[in-house]
Amino acid sequence: MKARNGKFFSRGVHFRDMKFISKDCPISRLEAPNIASIALQQHIGKPAAPVVAVGDTVKCGQLIAKADGFVSANIYSSVAGKVIAIEKRANPRGGMDTHVVISRDIDADDTFVPLEPLKEKTKETIIARIAEAGIVGMGGAGFPTFIKLSPKTPVDTLIINAAECEPYLTCDYRLMVEQTDKLVEGFRLIAKALGVSHIIVGVEKNKPDAISLFEKYDDLDVVILRKRYPMGSEKHLIYCCTGRRVPPGKLPADAGCVVQNIATSYAVYEAVELNKPLFERVVTVSGQCVENPANLIVRFGTSFDFMLEKCGGIKGDIGMIIDGGPMMGATMLSTDYYTRKTDSGLLLLPASEVSLSNPTPCISCGSCARVCPMHLMPMDIDFYTQAGDYIMAKERGGVLNCIECGSCAYVCPASRALVQSIQLCKQKLREMK
Amino acid sequence: MEKVIVSDSPHIRGKRTTRGIMLDVVIALLPAAVMGCVFFGVNALVTILISVAASVATEFVYSLCLKKKPLEIIRSFDFTSVVTGLLLAMCLPSHVKWYVPLISAIFAIAVVKMLFGGTGKNIVNPAITGRVFAFIAFQSMMVSGWVAPTIAALDGNVATGATELTSMLGGNAASVSLLDMFLGTGMMGCIGETCKLALLIGGIYLVVRKVIKWQFPVTYIVVEGFVAVCLAKFDFAQFLPSILSGGLFLGAIFMATDYVTSPNSTAGNYVYFVALGVLTAVLRAATKIEVVSFVILLMNLLVPLINAYIRPRPFGAPGLVERIRAKIEAKKAAKAAKEEGGKQ
Repeated sequence: MKARNGKFFSRGVHFRDMKFISKDCPISRLEAPNIASIALQQHIGKPAAPVVAVGDTVKCGQLIAKADGFVSANIYSSVAGKVIAIEKRANPRGGMDTHVVISRDIDADDTFVPLEPLKEKTKETIIARIAEAGIVGMGGAGFPTFIKLSPKTPVDTLIINAAECEPYLTCDYRLMVEQTDKLVEGFRLIAKALGVSHIIVGVEKNKPDAISLFEKYDDLDVVILRKRYPMGSEKHLIYCCTGRRVPPGKLPADAGCVVQNIATSYAVYEAVELNKPLFERVVTVSGQCVENPANLIVRFGTSFDFMLEKCGGIKGDIGMIIDGGPMMGATMLSTDYYTRKTDSGLLLLPASEVSLSNPTPCISCGSCARVCPMHLMPMDIDFYTQAGDYIMAKERGGVLNCIECGSCAYVCPASRALVQSIQLCKQKLREMK
Repeated sequence: MEKVIVSDSPHIRGKRTTRGIMLDVVIALLPAAVMGCVFFGVNALVTILISVAASVATEFVYSLCLKKKPLEIIRSFDFTSVVTGLLLAMCLPSHVKWYVPLISAIFAIAVVKMLFGGTGKNIVNPAITGRVFAFIAFQSMMVSGWVAPTIAALDGNVATGATELTSMLGGNAASVSLLDMFLGTGMMGCIGETCKLALLIGGIYLVVRKVIKWQFPVTYIVVEGFVAVCLAKFDFAQFLPSILSGGLFLGAIFMATDYVTSPNSTAGNYVYFVALGVLTAVLRAATKIEVVSFVILLMNLLVPLINAYIRPRPFGAPGLVERIRAKIEAKKAAKAAKEEGGKQ
């Protein structure tokens, strides 16, 4: 369908998208690593429970950890080899997770063991397959997808989040231009699972070739979005695509919409059509300090070191290593961590690109309130959180509505750590309950 | 692996800093300060220099008393004291004795700003409070002895004894033309307030640099003008003289828009600036003196109240109309349920 222009939300921030660095690098496959260290917590919810023991031989695509409870996800081995350890290792976000460490058998076959083919593709079988394949939201949140596909309120629209509003990241963009057919098939499968026929694809204006590719499909309603961060936020995407507003504290399903990400849709296609469990994804390796930026298909558990080595290593003076995008990702001390389902990028930025300044007192300039896409008062949240009055931060600042996009901290002239105040406040409010 | 930075998200930030904003304000104030020196000569320059030097020095000494290291104080210097000193000097007359800017600046920085916690913590504008302090402490110097500017009015009229505004509020006809009022030629007044053209240039610079929003000072000035017209029994000829005389432009562009002492939300700011305009016009008519600084001081104190009650609605929250509609519907439903219950 001919693309139409979407609505526009006021506020938010605009910056250089820096996508040119890796935009034109075709997706290539990274070879299997000799050691794969697969975390059991790659999603929101409970960690998966391991079903293999040290010394077991596993095949690629074999289930190694089973979903434990409702909000959890299966985890599959990404290489064929032997389990050499099940131990706690650091994750890029600063915590410790149990990892299943698999030493790859160099002679073994690296192709995966397929899941049992689906006899028929109905609503229930597709959802069951998505749950079985261990698919979670691959945009960064990591919420198990099958739960999102069984909403409690009736929905009539599937929105595909093709905004990719974080700077530098291009993994979704490459999938859109290289695997359009498969992606659209994935959209259709998700729509079928939801029982809806209206599929909206929201693409930011800076990806014109993706827009023209999607336009060729008659069942897609392509929406051109203005380039503005955080366009990829569910609530804002829904507003821009449909004009509906999700009330505070409600889910997208309350506005009759379900939002899915590009990488997730691709995983759904592979799981349903190719019977492939989720054990690899496209990761953007980019930044001014990478010798050869690339978009790589990486098996989970591959160390960032290995990825970086294959991309030619570090170039110039490195200032910061980021897991994910620069707005919402996490900085890492080294590249000695392992890829997970939610990692969309590995960025190496020079010191000149990143923020270094120390916080100075707030001058109440109101910049944060002017850019807050949720129309909150970040300066009030910061003030009350610093004072230890979390209830006031909730009432005056509306901290619980915050999506932690970081727009406020981006514009803050006093370099206040606003997002950390907000996270601390939310944490304290959770503890108070 | 070399040294890498580990920080909180977001990892990229905008280029704007507090220091940069304050430097922009200083730059925006320069045209008016230069015009003040041209009109009122060496005295004006000396007053400005004393005021700025006293402000910066007071901040430095105060920080030293707080046992901060000198190097650290210099490194964290953010130009707010320069802005305060400059603004204070600009709303003092050029003929005041040298100790007036000195004592006022020390008072403004030490008592109004640092005692409350320094940059960002003051509850009222230090420069305004410094001026009000001078007005009360050195009243004879602040209200009389005005010096005529070196450049006479374009139409050759001789300036009268009082400032243009007080003479007009006293019921006299304007003695200089509107163009003179705009350019400040032949106008008596404080150092920085007479040349409206220079203030306007500074204001436009701040708007272009996105330091202030043009809507706010314009709201203040226009509302003040209209209320003045209304109070003069709808004599629309009063509009321009009322806004062009006195310190309204200086107050509206540079004083009232001070971040720390103005409301945080856009809606709150409109309330604040409209209230400023109304109060200025009403109190000018009632007291027959220039009240811009007093009104801004008064409204500064009301800012926490505005911040507490006027806040933006979270994205997606129902608006006022929707909320009222929902309430009415809920009442209707309750009524219907009651009636049904009554029937049974």
